[in-house]
Amino acid sequence: MTGTSEGWVGSHFHRKEDHRLITGKGRFLADIARPAALHIVFKRSDHAHATIESVDVSAAKAMAGVVAVVTGDDIKDEILPMPQPVVQPALPATYPKHWPLAVGKVKWHGEPVAAVIARDPYVAADAAEAIEVDYDPLPYVGDAESALADGATIVHEDWPDNIIFQMDFTGGADEESQRAHEAKVQEVFDSADIVIKQRFTCHRCGVAPMETRGALFEWDESDGLTGWLTTQRPHIDRLALSDILEIPAEKIRIIAPRDQGGGFGVKAPFYREPMLIAYMAKKLGRPVRWIETRQEHLMAVSQERDQIHDLEVAAASDGKLLAIRDRGLADCGDGCEGVYWGFLMPFLGAVELPNAYDWPIGDIKVKVAITNKSALSPARAFGEFPTRFAMERAIDMVAKRCGMEPADVRRKNLVATLPHMSITNEYFDSGDFIKVWDNLMAEADLPGFRASQAEARAEGRYLGIGFGLGVELSGVASELFVPMENQPGYGAATVRLDPRGKVLVFEGDAPGGQGHETTVAQAVAHSFGIHPNDVVVTTGDTGTTPFGSGTVGARAGSYFVSAAVQACEFLKEKIARIMAHDLALAEASPADFSFADGFVTYQKDANIKKTFREAVERVIMAPINLPEGESGGLEHTAFFEAEKPMIAFNADVCTVEVDIETGQFKILSWTTSEDVGQIINPQIVEGQMQGAIVQGLSNTMFEEFVYDENGQQLTADFENYKLATAADVPDIKVTHAPTPCPYTPLGSRGIGEGRPSDVPGTLCNAICDALGPFGIEITDLPLRPDSLWRKIQAARGAS
Amino acid sequence: MSTTTITVTINGEVFEETVPVRMLLVDFIRERAALTGTHIGCTYEGVCGACTVQIDGEAVKSCLMVAAQADGHEITTVEGLAQGGELSPLQRAFNEQHALQCGYCTPGILMNMDEFLRENPDPTDDEIRHGLVGNLCRCTGYAHIVDAVRQAAKETR
Repeated sequence: MTGTSEGWVGSHFHRKEDHRLITGKGRFLADIARPAALHIVFKRSDHAHATIESVDVSAAKAMAGVVAVVTGDDIKDEILPMPQPVVQPALPATYPKHWPLAVGKVKWHGEPVAAVIARDPYVAADAAEAIEVDYDPLPYVGDAESALADGATIVHEDWPDNIIFQMDFTGGADEESQRAHEAKVQEVFDSADIVIKQRFTCHRCGVAPMETRGALFEWDESDGLTGWLTTQRPHIDRLALSDILEIPAEKIRIIAPRDQGGGFGVKAPFYREPMLIAYMAKKLGRPVRWIETRQEHLMAVSQERDQIHDLEVAAASDGKLLAIRDRGLADCGDGCEGVYWGFLMPFLGAVELPNAYDWPIGDIKVKVAITNKSALSPARAFGEFPTRFAMERAIDMVAKRCGMEPADVRRKNLVATLPHMSITNEYFDSGDFIKVWDNLMAEADLPGFRASQAEARAEGRYLGIGFGLGVELSGVASELFVPMENQPGYGAATVRLDPRGKVLVFEGDAPGGQGHETTVAQAVAHSFGIHPNDVVVTTGDTGTTPFGSGTVGARAGSYFVSAAVQACEFLKEKIARIMAHDLALAEASPADFSFADGFVTYQKDANIKKTFREAVERVIMAPINLPEGESGGLEHTAFFEAEKPMIAFNADVCTVEVDIETGQFKILSWTTSEDVGQIINPQIVEGQMQGAIVQGLSNTMFEEFVYDENGQQLTADFENYKLATAADVPDIKVTHAPTPCPYTPLGSRGIGEGRPSDVPGTLCNAICDALGPFGIEITDLPLRPDSLWRKIQAARGAS
Repeated sequence: MSTTTITVTINGEVFEETVPVRMLLVDFIRERAALTGTHIGCTYEGVCGACTVQIDGEAVKSCLMVAAQADGHEITTVEGLAQGGELSPLQRAFNEQHALQCGYCTPGILMNMDEFLRENPDPTDDEIRHGLVGNLCRCTGYAHIVDAVRQAAKETR
């Protein structure tokens, strides 16, 4: 542990969260016990698309220990259907009506059809098996293109087609302006030296945190509903539950457990299961508990990416990018998922398609189609994993056509001056992309690598180098968040000073491993000049914390911490005003007092000082003889909204060796260059990068949700849905080229959310570079040795 | 539901309990012994390693056994690693190297690596990485876990 009370921001400070977690004293959802809690088990659909003819629950109901069995028909007049406004974006889309249990028909393999509530979880599972459902199968709509084909079966039968959402991101709102814009872009393509036209596809994969979802609800006639829920946004869950169950919001308290086993986006939606569990707890007047099995998890959630992009790039022969055209198509699944509806990820992916390149013009459109799969649920690198794969690969294809180094094409086209507004109206507030890039190139030693590559190739070995980069959201400003999710973007923090000179911080968001307790404790300790161990943090409890839209979009380092610092500054001014009054320093302003090393000191005369505890205790416990207009007490809630939407930026390089006889490849090195602004805790920042890049590699190389031709999901366990192990992945070298963010009080940026996005492009670029002699272009994910081997074989056969 | 009576010692404490014969050891540890540091991640497939404990000193995935099979054996869980309130060198290294984020997989990794280091007091990074293949971690990318195991090995030797 290093650092002083004046220098906690940026210092190495070992995490406060760890002690309980390494001694087995963490408190995750499954560790929370309520007396006589009942257990719920869902009966899930065996079919991808079928009419429910009948549900026979008699055998299940008759089993000893079973308390209740419910079906969709039982609850459809008791619970208001989704959508409800608080979990419905302000974007024009068609929002599918749904209840927590299927009503009338099932739309994907794994959809909840009925549920058993029993005193014992083993009995509940047995009883769920005993429910007999009679189905009449309907045609399976298995991918986005067939969903949009003429004569396709309509999944939501009261809709005119299977389109949940479509948008033109560049041509304006009306048909006429869109046609005019298309023509303008076409002119650029017509006169360009080089045009790349390529379809890129990204498979269905996601995040799958180690802790599955879960919920525990109880009802009390006077207090109302209390729910412990695995969630990234407890305040939104509370409002949504209030709407659908018609319980006044003030009678609902949602508590995200202090410890959550990862979220990465998948715990951010308002899902169907908690609605039913809350309803049943109220109806039965007894606590009801659900711990999702891994099989349920992999059938129902954690599925993202799944986009196709027909991408065209126009460029000059000197590598200058001239125009982009993209037609994106996403396979949404059934779209029945509060907040996201399966389409917000492809929406944001399209917004972020242009990446950090300075495009003069573009024509970008996306369609999102309903199919008979589970709804896409958010995964870190929200929506942009496929678009960034397409973009980073396309840049390399341009470079090849120009006969240039891909690195040079990137540098030439990076946005050189910030702020910048992208062609999809994404605002890049600040930073220095060129500085980050040049730092990466100093690490990469490209000439040295080219020499080793040539030597290796002479020996019949195939080495390659690949680059990629990414602009990521640093928090989500209200001006994007309100239309996108109908929720505020501000960060909120309550800072309460304790009479004994300690500090309590309350955060309405709900972290799952990102180290908020430590990061904010460092920022608060820095501000007050005390030790981080004197700061205690409470998160995710709607009964005690200020409103927050959730732990999403890298909001902590950008918005939450900034709110906490603002609250500290407010309280410091009050302490200073009262101290000046007490000391009869009529000329003193709050700025004349420093907070450092546990003291509040009058800087013009360092002999005039009080311990932080004395200064605080005076205001809280002895509120007499105060300046006119002042009151006692020291607590403040700040809502931080940045002046502008903010970003972070990174660039990556990796090297690989490919075995052309087998298609196997090995990652030899991976180095990143980051602008995360002012770092608060270097270890936590590095941990975010290591973890995010490995998630990106795992998505790229291993993970894939597979449905058979009838929509049976074949990958609902970790044997078949493979995650990267320690032996599968490299160590990552993380380097920094920071520019402090001018819009946050500490200069910090939010980091980690979008970070996996440039990984597939970077890795595939390296492999294509290694296989340069064969002219292989990777355009589809996942990247597997067998498909690579086939491409190599085909290229060798052709030559 | 048929039951059986078993006697097991967990972290030095003796439990004599009548349990359903189908009760998994991990559920016994969590529900009967109320030791919730042992986690369930893959729901009884033996893939994720979050439920790893030691039985007579050997790392075992406690979801792959029924409790009855542990009758007469000594079990150590993550709660038993720290002695007299003092963290083990491995636990301390996990904190110092930032080898955990959400901490859900961590107890299983600690129980596996605790045994691994007894068998491999001077491991290479490659050996550590291969020693970890039975434990999935979704947060860290594994690099800091390798750093922590290497630090603990160095301090323990």
